[in-house]
Amino acid sequence: MGKPKVASDWLAGCSGCHMSLLDIDERIVDLVKLVDLRATPITDLKHPDESGVDVGILEGGINNSTNEAVAKMMRKRCKILVSLGDCAVFGGVPAMRNFFTLEESLRRAYVETESTDSEGKIPSDPELCKPQRVQAVHEVVPVDIFVPGCPPDADIIYYVLSELAQGRIPDMTKKNLMWN
Amino acid sequence: MVNITIDEKQLEVAEGTTVLEAARAAGIEIPTLCDHPHLTPYGGCRLCLVEVEGARTLQPSCTMPASNNMVVHTDTQKTRDARKFILTMIFSERNHFCPYCQVSGGDCELQNAAYHEGMTHWSLQPNWKPYPVDASHPFFIQENNRCILCRRCVRACGELVGNFTLGFEERGANSTLVADLGVPLGESSCIGCGTCVQVCPTGALIDRWSAYQGRETEVDCTETICVGCSIGCGIKVLTRDNRLVRIEGNWDASLNEGVICDIGRFHPLIEDRERVQTPLVRKGGSLKAATWDEALDVITTQFKNQKHNQLAGYVSSRLPVEAINVFTQLFAGLGASAYCLEVDLPAEYSSRLADEIKAPFEAKLSSLQTSDCIFVLGEDLTKDHQVVSFFAKRTIPNGTKLITLDNKDNGFDNFAVISLKPKIGTEIDVLRALVSSLKAGKSTFGDVEKVSGLSIDVIESSLSILREAKKPVIVFGKSDSQFITDDFVKILYDLAKQINASLINVKGGANSLAAAQLGLVKSLNTKDIQTGFIVLGDDKPTQQLIKSLEKIPFLIMQSSYISPLTAAAQVVLPAQNWLEQEGHYLSLEGRVQQAYKSLQAEESVRSNFEILNELASKLGIKVNNTWEEQITKRISPVAIELIAD
Repeated sequence: MGKPKVASDWLAGCSGCHMSLLDIDERIVDLVKLVDLRATPITDLKHPDESGVDVGILEGGINNSTNEAVAKMMRKRCKILVSLGDCAVFGGVPAMRNFFTLEESLRRAYVETESTDSEGKIPSDPELCKPQRVQAVHEVVPVDIFVPGCPPDADIIYYVLSELAQGRIPDMTKKNLMWN
Repeated sequence: MVNITIDEKQLEVAEGTTVLEAARAAGIEIPTLCDHPHLTPYGGCRLCLVEVEGARTLQPSCTMPASNNMVVHTDTQKTRDARKFILTMIFSERNHFCPYCQVSGGDCELQNAAYHEGMTHWSLQPNWKPYPVDASHPFFIQENNRCILCRRCVRACGELVGNFTLGFEERGANSTLVADLGVPLGESSCIGCGTCVQVCPTGALIDRWSAYQGRETEVDCTETICVGCSIGCGIKVLTRDNRLVRIEGNWDASLNEGVICDIGRFHPLIEDRERVQTPLVRKGGSLKAATWDEALDVITTQFKNQKHNQLAGYVSSRLPVEAINVFTQLFAGLGASAYCLEVDLPAEYSSRLADEIKAPFEAKLSSLQTSDCIFVLGEDLTKDHQVVSFFAKRTIPNGTKLITLDNKDNGFDNFAVISLKPKIGTEIDVLRALVSSLKAGKSTFGDVEKVSGLSIDVIESSLSILREAKKPVIVFGKSDSQFITDDFVKILYDLAKQINASLINVKGGANSLAAAQLGLVKSLNTKDIQTGFIVLGDDKPTQQLIKSLEKIPFLIMQSSYISPLTAAAQVVLPAQNWLEQEGHYLSLEGRVQQAYKSLQAEESVRSNFEILNELASKLGIKVNNTWEEQITKRISPVAIELIAD
């Protein structure tokens, strides 16, 4: 058996979880020995292999039609899907806008911000993705492993990835379970 | 006794013990949320569900009494599934966002419960309907989005504090915690004791200061006592990096069992007076920084040059007894008069009565818990000595009748069956009428109706309540209208004898009983005094006190904070505050308790005890630290218990 293939992507998040992944520091060298890192936001490949990968990792929640499409593609092309971080697991900070209507949030963002001049308008180009209510990844596609945390600790990420790389399902209890 | 089997363990427990209590006693952990050891079991959250053999459904262990031959399983797949499901429902009921909540990461019982059940995510989404946040209260915030409807706060407010401010409106998921009939907390009948904040399992009730200052595992905790008044409640002072984070009532303190008032919990956090940082000596008209030696030399020279009858010392009863004792010896050695800064003298009246009858006559505060009638005179317990008011108020639902006698508005009037408000100056006549009627066995009111302006009916009803009471308690203390006098206390003692009542004098400051025992509590005299040494410590001088003391030509202040008195002083000595120094306190009911230090003072700031000791040695006056002996020389109005640490 070759090295397991891993792909990742980021959706509605701050990319902090990927930064936390990089926080595993020199251990990334060990990890690369164990896995074949495919498409990620920090590598050149932009889409997970059509032939499929073993592990797909998603950071961030779903807040527009593109996020939804990316999540669905990842689900289709990976065997084990990992929700990484509080935004992917719970909706996180972006989900705070669910307290308002989409209209209200868009108006606030594009019209009413202090830096917007009188010309400010809500973008409506048909080429653009459609914003939607913020959802956790598992509300859109089935998720196999949840790694909450804002961001998850580098040690926890390393544990999860090294377990997966060695063909084991990580045990997300006790010290590995951290929502904050 | 009943025999019960929990998780294969055979236990014998007293009848009435709940399954939860039995399990805990046997070291079996059952997760709970709405349960609190100091509150009546409620059975609201259902997290403590257990499997009882033979029972149709899972049973809440917190409300289920153990019965004979009951077989209980606390940790089965069924209970685990149920708990996870219950937590899922709780999380979906409101809007819980752990990443940006200050209790997240250890201090939240809801999050801890979820971790315990291994919940990696929510299978149901939060409510997403925004719930209101009430920030109208000066001390704490009510965040309804984080409320789990456990009603711990409601039970604490009613059962522990007896205030019944908090309640719930609406039903089911719409249930909302409200104050009174739905008014903002800040405008409600809330007295700001913060007991609700202390029992809240989540971040739904949070104080205004301790957020993000450190989780419970990251702060230092000192178990000590509050010195806000003479009750001496047990508290926990949470600090971090020598900074005050929060104060909580100590559940393990046998006296107050976790409850404290706003003065103990929140006032130290809003302390905004400026500290005295270094000794100051007046030079050329203004106060200049000086060394300790310089300042103490100015004082010793002044003391030596001053006629003894023109020199006086004044000490705050907030100080540890060690400091007050040295202060007393210092001024005795100087041959000068010494006073306690208490402007009200009830502590002394009690001590005088004890001198006269040669025995302690006051009761312990615990007598309030079992009383069926409480007669409060003069003192407004909702302002001073508030925890005594909690003890009294929490008995009201059991039918305890409260009578007040005061000539002004008293916070207790709302809780009393009868509020006696005689004309000013006639309080003692009303009391005499009650005693003489009790003695005569019939109403002998004389002209008290005319004199006091009270109707005979009201006096008659008070009399019959007092006469019929099985365990009456009489509470008195200082009064703004100052009708508590020597004679008044004697008549009260007489009244207590007639109806077999327990008598409680709440006295004044933290060490007011000790000060009275040392003979310091007497009317302040500043006449002809040329040099006054005021050991104020961290006390807040009243306007009345400032007015009478600032006239002294040569004022020496030993004080933690800047005040109009330090501004008028010739010498100012920086003293440690109550959190920085340690020492003993004699509570109103005669408990000798130790206060421990929780903060480290600046190097230039010394403890009150240390300063007075050094001054004594500079003056060549021998002082000893035998305060236990000194305070027990005089017969105390209440039995003194020297509690060994």
